[in-house]
Amino acid sequence: MGKLIKYEIKGTYRYILGVLALVLILTTGIYAYISNTNEGSAFGATFIGLSVLVIFGTALSTFLYIVGSFRKELYDDRGYLTFTLPLTGNQIVGAKLIVSLMWFAILGIVIAVYNIIMALSFSPVELNISELFSMIKNMGIPYKEFIIVAITGIISGVTTLILIYLSMALSRVTFRNKKIGGFWFIIFLVLSALITYSQVKIAQFLPYYIDISTFKVGSGYMLSNNFYISTNENGIIMSGDFGNMLFNIPSFIYSILMGVLTFLGTGYLIENKIDL
Amino acid sequence: MNNIIEIKNLTKNYFNKRALDNLNLDIESGKVVGILGPNGSGKTTLIKILTGLLRQTKGEITVDGHEVGIYTKSIVSYLPDRNFLYNWMKIEDAFQLYKDFYADFDEKKFEALLDFMKLDKSMKIESLSKGMHEKLNLSLVLSRNAKLYVLDEPIAGVDPVARDQILDAIINNYNENSSMIITTHLVRDMENLFDDVIFLKDGEVVLQGSAEALREEKGKQIDDIYKEIFGE
Repeated sequence: MGKLIKYEIKGTYRYILGVLALVLILTTGIYAYISNTNEGSAFGATFIGLSVLVIFGTALSTFLYIVGSFRKELYDDRGYLTFTLPLTGNQIVGAKLIVSLMWFAILGIVIAVYNIIMALSFSPVELNISELFSMIKNMGIPYKEFIIVAITGIISGVTTLILIYLSMALSRVTFRNKKIGGFWFIIFLVLSALITYSQVKIAQFLPYYIDISTFKVGSGYMLSNNFYISTNENGIIMSGDFGNMLFNIPSFIYSILMGVLTFLGTGYLIENKIDL
Repeated sequence: MNNIIEIKNLTKNYFNKRALDNLNLDIESGKVVGILGPNGSGKTTLIKILTGLLRQTKGEITVDGHEVGIYTKSIVSYLPDRNFLYNWMKIEDAFQLYKDFYADFDEKKFEALLDFMKLDKSMKIESLSKGMHEKLNLSLVLSRNAKLYVLDEPIAGVDPVARDQILDAIINNYNENSSMIITTHLVRDMENLFDDVIFLKDGEVVLQGSAEALREEKGKQIDDIYKEIFGE
């Protein structure tokens, strides 16, 4: 699998670097413009508007480019090479998944860090990074909650990506020789809806929560009287009346299990069902 | 002699079309076998099942005693009828990929073949002409010391000079201990290569045997037998 990852990276890094360069240049432009003008002008507004549009457009096309690289294997001639390599379906899906995640992470982190640097260097007030950190420390950021949200966010991203792959593979298996653009997206929406719905049901039937701040486990009402429910791909998080965050354990386990099943299902489909 | 390929009652349907119809076929190890037939006769379908790109609807197929899977992919060197290399690659990258994935890849052989084909490692895949593509793909495929070579239409659509070069490369680099399957409808150019021939029509074997014996029996070249069968 490592070898396939190597060729995946080699095949896509130029595009990703190009995207990064474009976004960073536009971001610099926006910051520089904002910090150097006191009053708005038509030119400035157009420049910022266009830059923001280009950044959004780039984000969307990059997402489609990264996700679409799996689809290319299923529909383009390159599949003749990939699918005759002595690799299992899981190894192929795994390599695709790891490289996609890596690009999303690199793009996200670099752009975020660059924005922080820009904000600091163009800021009218002199800010010192160590002061900034001590300020954040003193504000008392809820680390545990922050970490849990980050972890669930990452898992949610991974499961969504695998579900997209499964939808593409299913769409290829259903309409063997016809390339129906975007059909995978309908399959994806249906599957997502089914998974989320079953997560809510599981949370209702098995209301066992963990309170992130105290690590106490119990049913939702035992831990808190009033709570707010939010659902994402990856489980159900609840906020209690003291600002505590409650986390539904069964639905979390279920979503991880679904992620694993989706992965294995995709590997099985491309190894045993797809006709090129 | 044992068989490198055994096929029993192999059927492949596409929706309502039958591409292979209850095919039974054994291919002996160490032979060069021509699978002959016009477009749509089922040649490519058979090859794609053999290489794991298609699944049969019914029947069994084994390669070197194994069902098609990772093992068979590691011993079969396959030349598809299209440009299967990744577009971003240079010849160097394709060479590295073959070296990485196939333990039987022979670097020296590849260098010699590239030289013979007048190709250079720094060339970009995207910029190659149809004939150069075919030469590069064949160089990669023949540089493996595979148990079985599967060449799908290796000379279709290339000019006569490239065609001769490709045929020479096949003859010079074929390894006696291996087996080779070549599909083609350009029979005249290739018939001297074949030990055995199989005529495929509408997904069924209509005639098969040793090329030499068929020539003697019918008093004709394989090319003329082909025309007789498919020329109606």
